Amino acid sequence: MIEYINNYVLVSIFVLLGLLLPVAALTLGRFLRPHRPTPEKGKPYESGVEPTGSSWVRYNVRYYLFALLFVIFDVETVFLYPWAVAYNQLGLFALVEVLIFIALLLIGLVYAWKKKVLTWT
Amino acid sequence: MTVTLASYLLVAAFLFCIGLYGALTKRNAVVVLLCIELMLNAVNLNLVAFSKYGPQPGIAGQVFSLFNITVAAAEAAVGVAILIALYRRRSTVNVDEMDTLKR
Amino acid sequence: MDEAVKNVLDWNWGAMAPELVILGAATLMTILDLLLPAGRDRRPLAWLGLAGILVAAFLVWRNVQAEPTHILYDMYRVDDFANAFKLVFLAGAAFALLLAVADVGPGGEASSGEKAIRDRGEYFYLLLTGLLGAMMLASAADLIVLFVGLEVLALSSYILVALRRQYLPAVEGAFKYVVNGGIASAITLYGMSFLYGLTGSTNLLAVGEGLRDAYVSGNAYLVYVAFFFLVVGVAFKIAAAPFHMWAPDVYQGAPTPVTAFLAVVSKAAGFALLLRLLLTAFLGLANPLDGSPLLFSELNVYVGAVAAASMIIGNTVALRQTNVKRMMAYSSIAHAGYLLVPFASLTTMVFSQMMFYLVAYLFMTMGAFAVIQLVARDRGSEDLRAFAGLFRRSPLLALAMTLFLLSLAGLPLTAGFIGKFYLFLSAVGREMYALAAIMVLTSVVSFVYYFAVIRQMFLRTGEEGDPGVRVPPTVGTVIALSAAATVLLGLLPDPALDLLAHTFNFSEMFLPLAE
Repeated sequence: MIEYINNYVLVSIFVLLGLLLPVAALTLGRFLRPHRPTPEKGKPYESGVEPTGSSWVRYNVRYYLFALLFVIFDVETVFLYPWAVAYNQLGLFALVEVLIFIALLLIGLVYAWKKKVLTWT
Repeated sequence: MTVTLASYLLVAAFLFCIGLYGALTKRNAVVVLLCIELMLNAVNLNLVAFSKYGPQPGIAGQVFSLFNITVAAAEAAVGVAILIALYRRRSTVNVDEMDTLKR
Repeated sequence: MDEAVKNVLDWNWGAMAPELVILGAATLMTILDLLLPAGRDRRPLAWLGLAGILVAAFLVWRNVQAEPTHILYDMYRVDDFANAFKLVFLAGAAFALLLAVADVGPGGEASSGEKAIRDRGEYFYLLLTGLLGAMMLASAADLIVLFVGLEVLALSSYILVALRRQYLPAVEGAFKYVVNGGIASAITLYGMSFLYGLTGSTNLLAVGEGLRDAYVSGNAYLVYVAFFFLVVGVAFKIAAAPFHMWAPDVYQGAPTPVTAFLAVVSKAAGFALLLRLLLTAFLGLANPLDGSPLLFSELNVYVGAVAAASMIIGNTVALRQTNVKRMMAYSSIAHAGYLLVPFASLTTMVFSQMMFYLVAYLFMTMGAFAVIQLVARDRGSEDLRAFAGLFRRSPLLALAMTLFLLSLAGLPLTAGFIGKFYLFLSAVGREMYALAAIMVLTSVVSFVYYFAVIRQMFLRTGEEGDPGVRVPPTVGTVIALSAAATVLLGLLPDPALDLLAHTFNFSEMFLPLAE
């Protein structure tokens, strides 16, 4: 039980240290650095170009379509990893299954292609 | 410093409750979808914790969570796709304004 | 390598053949849809799908009465419980497909205008993938397969509801459906994760055994938690109160054939899930003090409460509806309540009682939605008043609709009456008088809104000199078949009941593997 509580003492020390260090560093920096603000310094940094317009711009809706497509195909590969790792034990039957799986994914890709999701404009 | 099964289950329960609360109360449709993902991830945490530290550990829980992840991705994709269709018609993602069907 | 090839060939392909046929048909339809030029009529794809469904139905019928088989490391189970449900799903999907053909056909609601469906190939093959999910669900012997089947059905349904992209209520309904469905599946999964955690297995039979030990060894509390989460998730799926909020919006927004598909196939799949999951997992549990089975003595009270709430809320709120599809949504909520009654009373007849009512419900609901689809596209409105004077314009259609509504209300000489009578007997037999009384009283209330439609058809006059409603042959087939079945099951229920009692051996569901 004592050991159990000791663990929490350790954790709380870490938490305190974690909070204290950045606070101390920031306050120290405030006293040491010079303080001469100009309008140029307050601007957001955009690789040296004058920033124009609001930063809340609307993205083209096509970004979402690409993102959706990416998420699906990306996540489906999760099934291929376990199969690849255990390939030698699984044998032909699993190979057939995975080929069917990939064929269905390919149909999905062709579908996206035919529906002109993959072209920009 | 061992972490017990109960701690994992507790974290998962918290995540699940936050997700459920958010899904039922939030107004932004994207946040609602995010909250559903939170609930599904709570389930994954549960499954993986059970499969490692449960009374009868085994690999099945991890397999289950793999299936969860893929299905959750598909569900999120369908959800966002329908949301885009809705946004094109209404120009809003505020759930409170989706009330044409009420009478 | 020869050994491996032999393994592939020796595998029991027959067990999964119906699902493979449906998957093949859906894949073929997708590929053809992509190859066909843009402006081409997509309706031939539907006939391909229908052919697939017929072949699959034949293959399922061939599996009936065979020994229960397990394939894919006991994850998939073919038994008569699964076969019976698959036949219901196949019939429902075939009807929905026929209605969909007319929906996009010339003069159909989805052929032009705001409610147009441009993705017609998808309209047809998503019905098939949804059907595939439902069939997987019925045959699942493992939590993972159960969940994947549920989601395949759910994802197809979400997209089907959203197909009328230009029609705001459709997209809005679809989004509500996604959110509610997502929450429901997360809740179901959370319950399933506890089932797995307590038993260390995802196989349903093993879960059933493991849960018995877990219950007596001090984890009873978690068993209850799992049960409640699962019931909530299933109640969402079958649109039972108080988790029914999505149903009216979705039913109203979706194209009518899809509404019919949701009302019949999706709901029946929910009941397959209910029986398969809750019965196999929880049937073995017994109170350690007096040995009384938990599912019969304690847990069924909660199911009974959900059933009562659905019957009351569904039937009373339906009274206020003026949109026919919305009214049918509340009616289907009430029917979810009726169908839960045998599960609450849980006699040995639970399968045949539920199955008979599901079959009756399949025909009367499909028929009613077919007529609604015709009238709505004829008048351009889904309002109750669209039915005014239907008897003058199209007497046969009005008579058929009257038959379906009387059956839904549960009047004698119809399939609905016989089905409801058995449900009522099961509740009385287990001395659940409150549930039986609620069932009778709410049925009486339901007469009011069903008769409102009938009154419009017969007593109100439409505009003078209106031509009759044009009935496309596909919808005509659905209405004729549904009407015939509703009358037949109502007048001569014995052959069907015999079939359910003797041909389908439902208790196979609990048989462990015959090693």
